[in-house]
Amino acid sequence: MMSAAPGRGAAALLRGSQRVYLQCTRSSTSLLRTTATTTPSLSLPPRRTFATEATATSPIPEQPTTSQPPPTPGSGPSPYHIKSALILTRPPLLTRLPTPFESAFYLYQKRLNERLVAPFRKDYYFKQDTAHDLEWRIKLKERHGVPAKDIGRYNPRGRMAWNDEVLVGSTASSAEALTEALLKDAEVRVSEDGELIAPEEIVPVEKPMPRRTEADEKNEKTRLDRKLDETLYLVVKNGKTKQWGFPVGQVTTEEALHHTAARALEEAAGVNMNTWIVGRVPVAHQIIDPEIEPETKKLVKRGDKIFYLKGRIMAGQADLSGNAQGLTEFRWLTSKEMEKVLPKSVWESVKGMVELR
Amino acid sequence: MSSTTATLLPSLRALTTRLFSRPSPLPSSILSKCQFSTTSPTLALSKASIAKLGPKSQPGKGSSKASGAKGGQTTRRSKRKGEVVRDPRMINLLRHFAILSPQRIPAPLRMARNRYLRHWTIHRAWLLFRRQQREAREKTWMRQYQSMNRACEELRLTSGPGTREEGYLFRMAMEKKGVYGLKGVPIEYARAQTETPARVPWDHEWKRD
Repeated sequence: MMSAAPGRGAAALLRGSQRVYLQCTRSSTSLLRTTATTTPSLSLPPRRTFATEATATSPIPEQPTTSQPPPTPGSGPSPYHIKSALILTRPPLLTRLPTPFESAFYLYQKRLNERLVAPFRKDYYFKQDTAHDLEWRIKLKERHGVPAKDIGRYNPRGRMAWNDEVLVGSTASSAEALTEALLKDAEVRVSEDGELIAPEEIVPVEKPMPRRTEADEKNEKTRLDRKLDETLYLVVKNGKTKQWGFPVGQVTTEEALHHTAARALEEAAGVNMNTWIVGRVPVAHQIIDPEIEPETKKLVKRGDKIFYLKGRIMAGQADLSGNAQGLTEFRWLTSKEMEKVLPKSVWESVKGMVELR
Repeated sequence: MSSTTATLLPSLRALTTRLFSRPSPLPSSILSKCQFSTTSPTLALSKASIAKLGPKSQPGKGSSKASGAKGGQTTRRSKRKGEVVRDPRMINLLRHFAILSPQRIPAPLRMARNRYLRHWTIHRAWLLFRRQQREAREKTWMRQYQSMNRACEELRLTSGPGTREEGYLFRMAMEKKGVYGLKGVPIEYARAQTETPARVPWDHEWKRD
């Protein structure tokens, strides 16, 4: 770990730096087995094994990284608490609504397709003189002889075949018109024994549920069935600081980041959520600088290094009762709502990981 | 027609007619006569069981435009008035070939000048739309990747909690245990997006057992 000692001047720096503790570490946990732990002067390069770039031979740090304060000699442990937070997200459950241009384009393409493909062969799909065939013929007549259900009234053959474009302002391409046409076609008009079903006896087709749910209408931000076409993020409010943030926990010596994140979520929001943490790698980080007295260079208050991990929720709901961190409320917010509610430093750290929608 | 016209490449229609007209020949003889080995097992079987089929199959309109084939009408069984009763599967296939033959599929589009300009405009607009979608996606990925990269770099230079050496947590994060395997990702995560929600969009009452 300690490279070839460069010289006397650097030794003082090395003594003071955090890396001196490399020599004191329990070497059983490190992947490297070198003789460098005993003496700083080493001619052999350490044996490199998997993922050892972190503690590979490195030159003397002439200047530490700008984010850290200058190391005070003999300062002891790091001036930062290392914390792990979990950004729990509910992925969107609905597809994106097509833009008006997309809907119009799809109708245009369907009509061109109708002009270019072989005509529809009824006899391939409907056996002659069956009830199903009779039903098809009735519906075809109501569609004025157009076999396709989603292109409106257009005949690709004949003297009006050139007229395949709809006029400006037409609603033929809208999603509502399409749904209406398909639902109307889904009704059963002829019974199994070939009898026409009277209009009052036709069983209505169950319409699909609306995209805006009840939670959307009431704008209940604690519910997870709101804004189904967008990602929702769990934010919790600290009772003492009155600030919104994410469930966070301090990393202990025996844990890695993902252990701490799972523990933090469990302690904050309960276990009745079917969640999955997406791997061990952090997706965002936030550094809160420590408070150091300028004259004496003493550490007044330790800073924080918060590493955010991403988690997904598949079922359940958060429950803040019995949490030991003083959290008072939680909300499931979209990224735009989260931007308004989070403190600026938190949002600046986290905004890199949000999804498109 | 029949085998007198030994065409090198018999048309699909002629082939169909021949296949369905012979009175239950052996499967091997079919293969020797036909150029294509298009006899599927089902067709061969059907040939053998044709005799079992009574004359109940309705041809529908006997004189369909496609089955008015001039060749290969060996009358297998005649109903009243000497009407040729064909196997409906043959009629189906003949009509299929008639519609899909190269002479009969619709011609390529021809457009007048302004109509073509409108089409070209729509095409360019669509390409632009796709480009916008693509670039928004790629920007998001780049942003997310950079955020992860910066976090990992910071972690790499972090001395771990307590007495852990620099980069311990980074090395823990870079391990791939459990990522590739049967229990890597829970099956509930594979919930597809739909256009409209379920009757109960979200199970708020889920409890851990």
